[in-house]
Amino acid sequence: MNDIIQIIGQETVKVIIGLIGVLILVVVNALMLTWLERKVSAHIQRRIGPKEVGPYGLLQPIVDGIKLLGKEILTPANVDRPLYYLAPVLIFIPVLVSFVVIPFDTCLQVKDINVGILVILAFSSLSVLSILLAGWGSNNKYSLIGSLRSVAQNIAYEIPLLLSILPVIFMTNSLSLKDIVEVQREGWFIWKWQFFAFLIYFIAGLAETNRTPFDLPEAESELVAGYITEYSGMRFALFFLAEYTSIMIISAVATVFFLGGYLGPILPGFVWFFIKTYFLVFVIMWFRWTFPRVRFDQLLNFSWKILIPAAFINLLVTGGLLKL
Amino acid sequence: MVKKTSDDIKNTLKGVDVVEISYTERGYHLAIEAQKENIVSIVEFFDKKSFYLADLCCVDYVDYLELVYFFNNHKEPCRVKVTLKVEPDKPSAPTISHIYTIAHWYEREIHEFFGVYFEGHPHLVYLFLHDAIDIYPLRKKQVSVTEDDKKLLSSFKPEEFEDGFFINLGPQHPSTHGVLRVVVKMDGEYIVSAEPVLGYLHRMHEKMAENRSYVQFLPNPPRMDYLGALNFNLGHVTTIEKLCNIEVPERAQYIRTITAELNRISSHLLWVGAFVADLGGLTPFLYTFQDREHILDILEGITGSRLTYCYFRFGGLYNDVDDAFIDATKQFIKHLRGRFGMYEKLVTKNVIFINRVKGIGVLEPGITTKYGCSGPVIRSTGIPFDIRKVEPYAAYDKIDFEIPVGATGDNMDRYMIRIREMEISLNIIEKAIEKLPSGPFKAEKVPKKLKPPKGDVYHAVESPRGELGVYIVSDESDTPYRMKWRVPSYSNLMTFPYLAEGELISDAIATLGSYDLVIPEIDR
Amino acid sequence: MTFILEIINGAISLISGMCVTTKAFFSPVVTVQYPRQTVKISPRFRGHTKLVADEERPEKTKCIVCGMCERNCPSKSIIKVEGEKLEGEKKKTATVYILNFTTCSQCGLCVETCPTDALAFSADYNAVSFMKEDFHYDLIKEFQKRIKA
Repeated sequence: MNDIIQIIGQETVKVIIGLIGVLILVVVNALMLTWLERKVSAHIQRRIGPKEVGPYGLLQPIVDGIKLLGKEILTPANVDRPLYYLAPVLIFIPVLVSFVVIPFDTCLQVKDINVGILVILAFSSLSVLSILLAGWGSNNKYSLIGSLRSVAQNIAYEIPLLLSILPVIFMTNSLSLKDIVEVQREGWFIWKWQFFAFLIYFIAGLAETNRTPFDLPEAESELVAGYITEYSGMRFALFFLAEYTSIMIISAVATVFFLGGYLGPILPGFVWFFIKTYFLVFVIMWFRWTFPRVRFDQLLNFSWKILIPAAFINLLVTGGLLKL
Repeated sequence: MVKKTSDDIKNTLKGVDVVEISYTERGYHLAIEAQKENIVSIVEFFDKKSFYLADLCCVDYVDYLELVYFFNNHKEPCRVKVTLKVEPDKPSAPTISHIYTIAHWYEREIHEFFGVYFEGHPHLVYLFLHDAIDIYPLRKKQVSVTEDDKKLLSSFKPEEFEDGFFINLGPQHPSTHGVLRVVVKMDGEYIVSAEPVLGYLHRMHEKMAENRSYVQFLPNPPRMDYLGALNFNLGHVTTIEKLCNIEVPERAQYIRTITAELNRISSHLLWVGAFVADLGGLTPFLYTFQDREHILDILEGITGSRLTYCYFRFGGLYNDVDDAFIDATKQFIKHLRGRFGMYEKLVTKNVIFINRVKGIGVLEPGITTKYGCSGPVIRSTGIPFDIRKVEPYAAYDKIDFEIPVGATGDNMDRYMIRIREMEISLNIIEKAIEKLPSGPFKAEKVPKKLKPPKGDVYHAVESPRGELGVYIVSDESDTPYRMKWRVPSYSNLMTFPYLAEGELISDAIATLGSYDLVIPEIDR
Repeated sequence: MTFILEIINGAISLISGMCVTTKAFFSPVVTVQYPRQTVKISPRFRGHTKLVADEERPEKTKCIVCGMCERNCPSKSIIKVEGEKLEGEKKKTATVYILNFTTCSQCGLCVETCPTDALAFSADYNAVSFMKEDFHYDLIKEFQKRIKA
């Protein structure tokens, strides 16, 4: 055993173990988030969600997964096969990779890349590609409309996303996520002048993951199901899980940047990290069940005319304050 | 108004006979017999006087077919019946669809059910039926469809459109409109043209009416509009009471008013939930259903049904109400009054909702006469037209209430009018409960086998969607000779292609939701 | 300036909407956990019809086999009503009464037009079966089962 470690190198072993851990975490987390969404929506609507399978319905996602595995995987007749098969796979890869750089605790990070945030942003843009492949490859008018809307929405909201985390990077002088958390030992960024940046980041993050009120690409009452109309069985499950995992990533990045990451008294670091992240995930789910949908042109207007100017002003003010 | 119109007709149109009819017996004020040569000029006269086409139906008296046009006025009631006799084999008549746009659909319907060819109509294709049906269904004798007619009827094939990108909204749709299919031709996100395709839920209620006695037809109207079932029941029962001159006791009138208003509230509650669910907010749907459960429980306590009530009978009610009903209703009124504040915070003041709904789907008051819109759709344009005030029935003339009107005719106005109507209905119920007299709940001496005198009658009722009209022709037997239902969603839906042109598809769906359509009543 | 006021008003409206859903989140549920809990059925509930016992002779129904209900049913759901005239009785007694519940619309016309008030609504709401024939209820047999119990 020690020989193998010596041959491969200690770093590599650590990374491999970390990757396996992240994989397990991502899958379990995605399943748990489906349960959480159903419970939150049920209690907001004054009913009980899943309650039969397991205590409080906790085993419901597992049973759902088994059901989805058993479903027939239909491929419609005239789809563009390479694109159609590639899209669900391609949407899951970016979210998996993004988890590599997130610091769960002082020593619980798979690899502390020194341009950590750039990795996350770069990979989140890849998910746009997979949505486009899904929409075009499905050979279906509704999917096409949904995916085109999603592409426009994603491109429009990436800019405020980037601009809102730039002030934090300015204040930290580093792109590495670990350093950003460490700097917050003196105070979280959310009440060190970056409250508006937090709001802008949160809203842009909602739009990036296609969640209500920006869920036009999956608008149920208008386009049946948008770009995932033609997918069934496990492929559909992959899209769903990728969406929940990207919610987790957005919340995790928000926690790291604005809410102090794993910092907090008494409890161990990763417990605080998960409490803060899941609180933001809960807020995202709360938004879904309270607000109606924004119309497409209003959505783009909101980004270009309100969010981007606000983010710019925030950036300038932060830059000015730092200089002085 | 009636005298003035009658004099105007006599002065302007030469050679046209106007007969004044007793309104309390027949439900309309004037009757005109027209010929094929002057029907178009008569219709143009009514269009100039801002009358709207309330109904256009056809009755098959075996020696001839009679086209019956009903006109009415929004300002003061003046119902005019214009009849046109047409020959029974190869019947044809001039079209009036260039004057009244709603006649496009009425004439299509008459063409496929009776075989009447309308000269000049641009688009005589199937409205409700399909090409496996070989006869004209509503004729008294079997007349088969000719080959040319079949070719004409099946000439709408949207799947063969070469240019343009068209999608189908429906017929299976995640919104709760019903089984409506809209063929939408799109240019990017904008709609170029939208055409509704009906007939997915056609059950031939009018043919069933001719084969069943008056009493046996009672379960059918609630199935036509299951959300406003008591109002349809009321329309049916009041028309026949008018025809047979049956007097309904006071207590029954008040209870009819109370239950019809409760039904109106439950229909509007469901609409609020479905409308916001169309726009993406899925929670108010559950909240309105929770409120609606109270109404359903109350009405189950007296009628026994929860959705398709068959409660009114000719001359009164099926059974009397008890104190439990009165107490439950009073409690419900208090409960619902407290909920309006919550809906305001969650939906009405929500900035996303306002941006989705304000200024969209604007209907001008000038075109409402062309379509015969009614209900909250016409009240949103500023015209205070409500059958309960204009031609009162049941106990509405004894209760004082106001009519909400909107200012601009957009979706927001229709939403606010329905919320306001719910509040007003609560007031009506409260006043009616206070004034509820004691006495019999059913008229005596109503024959078990009802054989009304010969003649025809028209009566209109305000259902939650608008003006519901029932036209019955009786020939002294115990089954109706012809029963025609004029449903409000039919004429309201006709304005949708006009409003949807040039709109974004999200806006078109919001507008379609704001009409409060119930497709089974359109398809009958 | 009005632009910023609009944004602030919009944000306040969104937050007040969120307060409403929070309040609902912590309120008790309004659903009934069927089948562990059941809802009370109101006495006027319209299930399928049932035959009513005669007060003087409780082992017989009030039905006199006149056929009014069969003729008046709009959907022809009452398939067979037969009876025999027993000795010493003035009117017939029913022996077979078959109701096809799959086409019944619970309109109540049969209950209303019966001259002897022999029919009433039952409160049976969760009948279930795999075959259509199980819903051809023989009301006489059900009546006899009821009086034995």
